[in-house]
Parts: sequence; C-alpha cells; structure tokens
Amino acid sequence: MDQREPVVRFENVGMRYGMGPEVLRDITFSLPTGSFHFLTGPSGAGKSSLLKLMYLAHRPSRGLISLFGHDMAMTDRRDMPALRRRIGVVFQDFRLIDHLSALDNVALPLRVSGAKDEQIREHVAELLAWVGLAEHLDATPPTLSGGQQQRVAIARAVINRPSLLLADEPTGNVDNELGVRLLYLFEELNRLGTTVLVASHNEGLVKRFNHPQLHLENGALRRVLSVRRTVA
Amino acid sequence: MLGARSDLPLEQDESSRFIPYIIALMVYLATLALAGALVADSAVERWSRGLSGSLTVQITPGRDADPAERKSRIENAIALLDQTPGVTHAEALSDERIAALLEPWLGEAATSDLPLPAIIDVHVDPAARLDIQALSRHLADAVPGATLDDHQRWLRQLIGYGHSVEFIAALILAFIALAAGIATVFGTRTALAIHRNVIEVMHLIGATDTYVARQFQVHALGIALRGGTVGFLVAVLTLIIVEYLTEAAGGGLLPSLALAPWQWAVLPVLPVATAAIAMMTARTTVVRTLARMV
Repeated sequence: MDQREPVVRFENVGMRYGMGPEVLRDITFSLPTGSFHFLTGPSGAGKSSLLKLMYLAHRPSRGLISLFGHDMAMTDRRDMPALRRRIGVVFQDFRLIDHLSALDNVALPLRVSGAKDEQIREHVAELLAWVGLAEHLDATPPTLSGGQQQRVAIARAVINRPSLLLADEPTGNVDNELGVRLLYLFEELNRLGTTVLVASHNEGLVKRFNHPQLHLENGALRRVLSVRRTVA
Repeated sequence: MLGARSDLPLEQDESSRFIPYIIALMVYLATLALAGALVADSAVERWSRGLSGSLTVQITPGRDADPAERKSRIENAIALLDQTPGVTHAEALSDERIAALLEPWLGEAATSDLPLPAIIDVHVDPAARLDIQALSRHLADAVPGATLDDHQRWLRQLIGYGHSVEFIAALILAFIALAAGIATVFGTRTALAIHRNVIEVMHLIGATDTYVARQFQVHALGIALRGGTVGFLVAVLTLIIVEYLTEAAGGGLLPSLALAPWQWAVLPVLPVATAAIAMMTARTTVVRTLARMV
C-alpha cells in the first residue's frame, strides 16, 4: 500500500439496516496511516455503525469505502479475511467466546492466521500479564468481571499488531487509572505504526490524550476537530 | 491446553448427541445390505460357473421299475450322448448320490422306498455349438422317458433374482448415503445457528470460511467414525450369528450365507465412506452458509 494512501477513506457513505432509515448519511473522511483519532458523539449518533462499516461487519447502502487502498465494493469476498486480519477490533459488548479461556480468546486472531501454538502461548501470556490478567489465563469470560473481560477483548484486538485498531468504548468498564493505561497501550501501538480510532464517551480521556476527533451527530459527521493532525 | 480444543463447542450440542446413533444405525443397515449383495453376487457366480457347460439327462423309472430295463436305457442314453459332437463326458449318477441329493427335501426313509429317476450328468464343450433342442428330441425318441435339461430357464430366473437382490442392496446403500448426508446437513445447520455469534466473531477477526468449516468437518468426521464403528461392529456380530444359524439349521438345504475373506475386507469401507460423506457434507454446508455472510 502506498504510504500516502489513507488507511481508511469514506466518500459520501450512507448506511441503513434493512429497509429502515439511514443511520449514517453522507459520511466523508479519511484516516491517514499512523494517525490516532477519537470518535465522539452522543449515544445513538451512529458511532458503532460507523465502526461496523470499518471492520467489515456491514456493507454501506451507498458511497465508497476504501480500506488499505482497496475499494470494498470491488474487493472479492475471498480477500476479506486477509484485510480483517489487519484490523483489530475492541467490541463494545466484548464478544468474547464464553467456552474459551482468556488465553484462548486472545490467541484466536493468531490461530486463524496460522501461528504455531508454541509461539502463541508466550506472546498471549505476556500481553495478558501486561493488562493485569496474569492470574486469569485459564479463566473463562463468564467467570471474569466486566473490566477483566474488557481487558481480554483489548488484548485480543492488539495481539497481532494490527495496522488499524478500532475500539468501541474500550474504557467503558474500567476505572480511570486502567483506562489511561489502556490508552497508553493504544498510543504505543500507534507509535509502532498502527492507525487507531477510539470511540469514547469519556471526555476526560479524550481531552487528556488530545488527539483529533471525528464527531458524529444524528448519523452525520458534523465536526472534525483537528488538534495535532488534519483529517482529510 | 491450546491444541486440544476446538474454537467452537460442537461436542456440547444436542445434535452431536443423537447423530452418532443415527450414523450407527445407518452403517449397521448398510453393512447388512452390502453383505447381502456380496452373498447374492457370490451365489450367482457360483451357480453360473457350476451350471454353464453342463446338462442333465433325467430318465423316469418305468412302471414295473425293472432294474435291467432301467440299466439298458441309461446305457443307451450314454451311448447316444458319447456319439454327439460337443459332449465331452456323460456319466450316470449312482443311486446313493441321487438319494443324497434328495435327502434334504424328502428325508432318508422316503428316498429308500421311492422309485428314483436315473440322472446322467453331461459335460459339454462350451465352445461347441450344440443344438440342445435337436439333442433333446433325439434323446426322447431313442430312450423312452428321457428328458434333457440344460438348466438355462432355471439359471436365468436364479441369476435374475440374484441381480435383483444386488440392485435392491445398492438402492438401500444409496438411500443410506443420502440419509447420512441429510442428517449431517441438518446437524450442521443446527450447529451453525447455535454458534452463529461465535462464528461471526471468528469471521470478523479474519477466520476464513475454510478455517471455520474445518472445525465442523473434523467434528462431523469424529462423530461419524464413532457411530459408524459401533454400527459396523454390531453388524459384523449379526452376520456371524446369521452365518452360524444358517449352518446349524440349514445344512445343505439353505444357500451358504458365508462371506469370503475378501468380502469381509470390503465391509469396513462402509463406516469409512459414511464418515467421509458426513465430513464432506458438513464442509459444503458450512462453506455455503458462510458465503452468505458479508
């Protein structure tokens, strides 16, 4: 991919669920390679829907979406898994697999990429220790607290050093101190080249980390607040 | 911990509990059907081999059952047969042999009291174009009470019956394969519906359809092999019991239901083939279903 090519580019994108009204309208923005953005806006503004388009869980009803230089409308379905592996996602509802241990949940992106079990265990255990779950490697999600589950979800999203990290309210269930630590982790990944988009309600964290914001209201991208980088 | 488990808890599904029983039952029936077809095939081959190139002349006993007259008629018939081009051998069966052949039907006492027909076993050169009808007429004119049987009518019926048994067995096998496929499709679709959320997560983190399908196909292979092995072993036990009972009850009267060693070796193909059908069906079902996802 050309380094100047944005990782994500949306042009006049609209999205609706089934035959319902458009939940996103005329969305146009791009995320340059290596950028860090917050996605803000009130509940119901369409933040999760916008993320769904970006992590390829949904197709737009109109407009152009380009990921890593690939026009999604023209991309063969068989090429999608390779693109998805370059995207780390922290789901708002975690979406952990209940019958798998924390270790196996985090290992899943590596396993679907074909990594060997010996390599997986060491990396996964190290990352889980970093997010404070060294004592819970074999615990299944139902036995973990909401905050612990969220940390497992974050570890799963970052385990294979994605090119694009999308996080939907990643600090919603953790205390402020851990929230700050997790955002430092995202910044560390960002410094290593990962493009990061964090949807968050936490105004304190958004202000503290002072990254550009994409602000959604009523399904439309109303404001783009540039602080350190300009969003095209 | 990492390698020993599947990403999907398929073993815990309800469908995983009943499908092995269905597969076991189907493999049991399929094994019996195939064994039946193999026995029928052997019997047809045995009858064909035994009767091609052979004729039987039967000379009914005269009213007074004069042994000298009976012997004379047998000699005349054999003389005539020996002079016929294409006949390689003609020999009268002894009375003891005829009695032994009839004993399973009539009993020992009956055969000793009854006037028995004379039987001449005739071997012909299969390459020689023997006019059976002409020989039959000639024999009837020369030897009173002599009839010629080339076994063809009986053999045709028997072979036709044997082929029918084989056809029905093949049909049963096809239906069983179809049923195995249908059971697997429904089991797999149920599992796909139950684990839809997990599959969606796997899909979103970059799992290919093949990766997801592999988990289903390995699972289907496992349960089909488990069920199939049980069904096969019970069927083998059944066949051994049937063979034993046939031998014990029938003696020479009932046709042999024993399988040759190579036929026993063919039977294990069934549980393996059933497992392969289940595996491939599961794979196809999953891949087709996933293809409808974004």
